[in-house]
Amino acid sequence: MKIGTYIQSALVVTAAALLLSGAAGAQEPGLSKDSIKIGLFGPMSGKALAYGEDPLNAAKMWYDRINKQGGIWGRKIELVQEDDRCAANDVVAAVKKLVEQDKVFMLNGGSCSTATVAAQEYVLRNKVPFVMLNASGDSALYPPTDYIFGAISISQRAVGGTMIDFATRSLKVKKLGYLNHDDAYGAWNLEAAQFMAKEQGATLIVESVNPDITDITAPILKLKASGAEALLVTAYARPATLAIKKAHELGWKTPIVIAVNGIANLVQMVENVGTKEAFKNLYIQELLADVPGGPKLQWVYDMYKTAYPELAKTPDHPSPYMPYGLASAMVVTHALNLAGPQPTREGVAWVLRNLKFESGVMAGPIEFGDNDRAGQESAIFLKFEGEKGVLQPGVYSNKWKYKG
Amino acid sequence: MKRATLAVVILLALFALPMVASGYILYLANLLMVFVVLSLGLNILIGETGQFGLAHAAFYGIGIYTAVLLNNATGAPVLVTLLAGASLAALIGLVLGAISLRMRDIYLALSTFAFGEAVRWVFASWTPVTGGPNGLRINPSNLFGFKLVTDRDAYLLVLVVTLAFLLLTIQITRSRLGSAFRAVRESEIAAAAMGVNVRGVKIAAFALSAFYAGAAGGLFTTFSSFIHPESLGFMTTIMVLTMIVVGGLGSVVGAVGGALILGLFSELLRQLLSFQEIIYGAILMLCMMYAPRGLMGLLERKQAGR
Repeated sequence: MKIGTYIQSALVVTAAALLLSGAAGAQEPGLSKDSIKIGLFGPMSGKALAYGEDPLNAAKMWYDRINKQGGIWGRKIELVQEDDRCAANDVVAAVKKLVEQDKVFMLNGGSCSTATVAAQEYVLRNKVPFVMLNASGDSALYPPTDYIFGAISISQRAVGGTMIDFATRSLKVKKLGYLNHDDAYGAWNLEAAQFMAKEQGATLIVESVNPDITDITAPILKLKASGAEALLVTAYARPATLAIKKAHELGWKTPIVIAVNGIANLVQMVENVGTKEAFKNLYIQELLADVPGGPKLQWVYDMYKTAYPELAKTPDHPSPYMPYGLASAMVVTHALNLAGPQPTREGVAWVLRNLKFESGVMAGPIEFGDNDRAGQESAIFLKFEGEKGVLQPGVYSNKWKYKG
Repeated sequence: MKRATLAVVILLALFALPMVASGYILYLANLLMVFVVLSLGLNILIGETGQFGLAHAAFYGIGIYTAVLLNNATGAPVLVTLLAGASLAALIGLVLGAISLRMRDIYLALSTFAFGEAVRWVFASWTPVTGGPNGLRINPSNLFGFKLVTDRDAYLLVLVVTLAFLLLTIQITRSRLGSAFRAVRESEIAAAAMGVNVRGVKIAAFALSAFYAGAAGGLFTTFSSFIHPESLGFMTTIMVLTMIVVGGLGSVVGAVGGALILGLFSELLRQLLSFQEIIYGAILMLCMMYAPRGLMGLLERKQAGR
């Protein structure tokens, strides 16, 4: 039934895209008889490298695979890459170069939400379909626009929503300590977390901290004193590491759940906390269809080893974020496939707005809609005791919806 | 004569650029001109007057946010928003200059650094006004009823304003005020003995430098569509400081050259991934070792045959 629905919607989307393609007479930028140019960008240097390096590698290996299989409608994918350094001005420069100088057909990139959002006005003005790489990019997704699609890994709203869903349904706790950033990122995930907490009859005790915090004693003491039955952390790795360490030092044995935002390097996290004892009652959020490297995802990790044999041997590779880049590139190639043999930017954007498919990589389906440009809204959770993650039963979802 | 011909050729090329260049090249050109105005401003304070003010990015941000908020709220003409941003920055620069009068060297650097960080914190935290950490979208500027939507639309305005600031700087440098700036830089006691109002000159340098930074912020809003407080931190001040040091402290041509060279390098090195930081660092080290007076000092030495 489910597969039938996907096929049905794919056929409808293809038919409509073919109609849109036929209506377009002029030659589209970046499109030739035998190639289609895609602008790929993300942080390839600097302090945010860890967020972009492997997602970019994964996207490249997917495009490479598509090319080896003959391309899309006979066209090979030609990648033009730019480093955006995860900085707003650099993202704008990279996007302008890709669109105006390299004349790409569409864009696939961005690993840092705030920086990626800087390109929004330009992309919309030039009507270029833009699929984010692994940035959640909430402020470019809500309110929805016609050309920007993101949160292929997950939106920050869905991060917050799924954390509450897991804590209330799986851990069966109703009084939740919630540690988030005091910035836009934190505000986004808190919005959905508050919505979900209300839905599930739970209470949130919120402490918001600066992402660059160096001493987290006060907020953790406050949360402990509040009697919270679980500590949910949606902050980056540094505050998350400090929170785990401090909770252990204070003898606070409540379950701790770390959102995907904080798990860029789990080996490093354990090393920085200093003892595996602190991880005795700890869960981490994952967005994939299985445990990283698990049977359902083995093909992804095998593909990575084949594409980057030397890199795969180095520590910290592939990063936990690697598969997100693959899913993002899959969105692009699915849309191009459905857009037919003569794709137009308008046609591809239309396809994307109506796209729904199972990637086999992410926890839930990737689905956009009339009022929704965030692709993936589900999560799984692993019990992580300092070495290996053990999958917890169930897939957790976010029920917050944009109502603007 | 030769210099005049070169200047005319450069000017003609600059005015003809939109006819041949892509939007991306014009974006780069616009950005480089913003760097030029920023560098000229910081050069007045540090290069000419010898005052180590490290809050340039804060004044740049004040110029940006003032221009954006005024434009978004009223749709006022771009020259009004630009002047408003520059004037507010100058006013705050004047106050900062007056407060900082008793400080010098490392203490002045630290106190202005603290001011810059405090202002950035305001940008990042005053969410209802500045958008806070979400950043702020910039509506297209309005020039005599014409909306500046693309880099091409904004280019000529940015060019004319930049040239105006360049001419103004040359005039200031050649004026009595310019001489007073340099006198204070060399020795405050000697300058005072010569009848220079040292306090007034220092305050004027702070205000003028902030005015340039605010105007550069206003220019930025004519071709950009988004601003985030992250772009207005201490690193931006350091970047501009590097530009004037590499170009040659105290030299107008050096400030322009440093801004253009380092601005271009930053963009061109994007393709070299991790090597870019190494190359950038190497350029700075080589400059400090072999051209401590900047590129202008190196040129002067070559011309003198030394």
